Amino acid sequence: MPVIALEEVSKLYGFGDATTVALDEITLNIEPGEFVAVMGPSGSGKSTLMNIIGLLDRPTHGIYELNGRSVSRLRPNQSAKARRDTIGFVFQSFNLLPRLNVLENVALPLAYKGMLHSRRLKRAADMLERVGLGDREYFMPRQLSGGQAQRVAIARALVNNPHILIADEPTGNLDSAASRLVMELLSDIHKSGTTILMVTHNPELTRYATRVVFMHDGSIVADEQSEIGDIPKLARKTHYSIPKTTEEDDLAGVSALMQAIPEKDEAQKKAVKKKKPKAKIFRPRATKRGKR
Amino acid sequence: MLLARNLKIAIDSIRSAKWRSLLTMLGIIIGVVSVVTTVSIGEGVKTQVKDQITRLGPDLITIRPGKVVNRDTAGHVSSVNLFPSAGTAAFNESDWKAMQNTPGLRAVVPFNVVTGVPSTTERSMDNSFIVGATTNVPEVLNHKVEFGEFFNEGDVNKRVAVIGKRVAEQLFAENVPIGKIMEIRGQQFVVRGVFEEFATSPLTTNTDYNTAVFIPYETSKHISNNQVQIYQVLAKPIDPVAVNGVTDALHQSILTARAGQDDFTILKQDENLAIANNILTLLTGLIAGIAAISLIVGGIGIMNIMLVSVTERTREIGIRKAVGATNKQIMSQFLVEAAVLSLVGGIIGVVISILANYMLRIFTSLQPVITVPITLVAITVALVVGIVFGVTPALRAARKDPIHALRYE
Repeated sequence: MPVIALEEVSKLYGFGDATTVALDEITLNIEPGEFVAVMGPSGSGKSTLMNIIGLLDRPTHGIYELNGRSVSRLRPNQSAKARRDTIGFVFQSFNLLPRLNVLENVALPLAYKGMLHSRRLKRAADMLERVGLGDREYFMPRQLSGGQAQRVAIARALVNNPHILIADEPTGNLDSAASRLVMELLSDIHKSGTTILMVTHNPELTRYATRVVFMHDGSIVADEQSEIGDIPKLARKTHYSIPKTTEEDDLAGVSALMQAIPEKDEAQKKAVKKKKPKAKIFRPRATKRGKR
Repeated sequence: MLLARNLKIAIDSIRSAKWRSLLTMLGIIIGVVSVVTTVSIGEGVKTQVKDQITRLGPDLITIRPGKVVNRDTAGHVSSVNLFPSAGTAAFNESDWKAMQNTPGLRAVVPFNVVTGVPSTTERSMDNSFIVGATTNVPEVLNHKVEFGEFFNEGDVNKRVAVIGKRVAEQLFAENVPIGKIMEIRGQQFVVRGVFEEFATSPLTTNTDYNTAVFIPYETSKHISNNQVQIYQVLAKPIDPVAVNGVTDALHQSILTARAGQDDFTILKQDENLAIANNILTLLTGLIAGIAAISLIVGGIGIMNIMLVSVTERTREIGIRKAVGATNKQIMSQFLVEAAVLSLVGGIIGVVISILANYMLRIFTSLQPVITVPITLVAITVALVVGIVFGVTPALRAARKDPIHALRYE
């Protein structure tokens, strides 16, 4: 039985003419123990999908079954409890509470479960040990490096023994060394049986995944199984570059267009203005920074 | 347990913004201080008035011109006229004679007001008042003459005076000015005695006899061209238990003397007490009510700051929701914070009230009394105000959409 089963799930924003389709009838099954990497350009619906799977959001249409239980129409309180017991979140920006120390941050989900203070601190301490930060218990989040903060966030996500770990660009704010450490940690967690969903823009990171899903304009355009350690074919083809446009480029672009236009009357000036943004859209436009 | 954790969060968040929290609490603090202080002053004055009235003796009968109180059919005081003297004449001598002839009374003392300012060659005293009275003033006032003696039957036509403590101090600048000369309406009077200090109570209409100059009734008539203005008559019954029967008889004889006009009031001491209490309770309640408005203003301050706090901590709310906090848990977190703010404000307010209480006792003649119930009520009201005004911000926090909250910078 799949741990996550989405059937024709759609998410729409806005009303009438202004309606945006963020997810377009997505059907997706994820089996327990999979490590799914979700890729796609900005605005392709990755985060919306993660929010719906993570029960932070509800689908407009379609059925979502989590562990065989339909959760697409849960009330906010029920979904909060389901989220607390089955899902762990890891964010790009760590999202630790700045006023709590590391140990309290990790113990936070247990507090909402109603666990006794001493027991939850014990559990949190064990979990910190597991991510290799046993000696940082009483540090404040601002005293940690990015990699350490993300490992604390992972400890917090795992402290409730969730079935699913949702990581939204977990290495987006980290340098390569810290990224590696975090990815190795996620890989360890995966090996111990936790299902992981990870959004990423970095094709290199798909080496850790057992399955790669590509999204575009709210639809899944490709879904490929892969061996751990391999970069799947599709991911290899995706070229990501940081767009570099300077003022000079822009000026050159406009003047080139201007030269191409024989007559400089008003109507054509308007046409120039219209064309310019279009030209920009066609540029391969994916950023390393991703979206939040 | 959830409460304990929320308390910790609340205290942390208050401590992390000390100044802001203090300013927020200021409204509550001021509210609590003003309510507690006014009520305690009221209580204190009541006790003082009670002391003063009981010291005069429980069997004292006060007869005043004008309707000071309204009575119901059973004869109980039903309401009090705050300004009874307006438009009411004083008693004249025949009224007093009628009272004196009523059986069952052992002392009937007229208080005949003489206008005028007593003076010596060096000083004069504007705020004193001159009373023509008979010889048994010490008996009806239940008060001793400390130095010298009160004028007696042999002095009825003499120019002698018995004065209160303040008069001795202000007019003669000494404690025992016996035998000294003072001048009233161009006539010279010899000081015969000085009363022991009378207990006074602020904020009441009761006369302060410390500023009084008592002269013999007959003499007072002479120096004011035989005009008599008796503003009150004090009487004591022979049998203290039979006060009620005596007052009825008094009523009848005065009615006869005044040709059936019922425009006077006979008050027993317990009624006097009730009237004073009545007026004071009314006044205290009024002022405390006005003071309570500042509590509401304080509540609005708390709401304001909590709304700011909720907005500031949007991201925190998002994180808490993402790790599984329910709306209820978020709501209780912010409610507890508002409650803690107002509770701490209430406690600080009570502490300041107690300090203010001591200051008042030291620097004024007021003797405010802070009771445990009033402090408890004040703290509880502050707490309730905090919770009531904390609901809106807490609801707003609880209803935040976790996705938007997580993206909030």
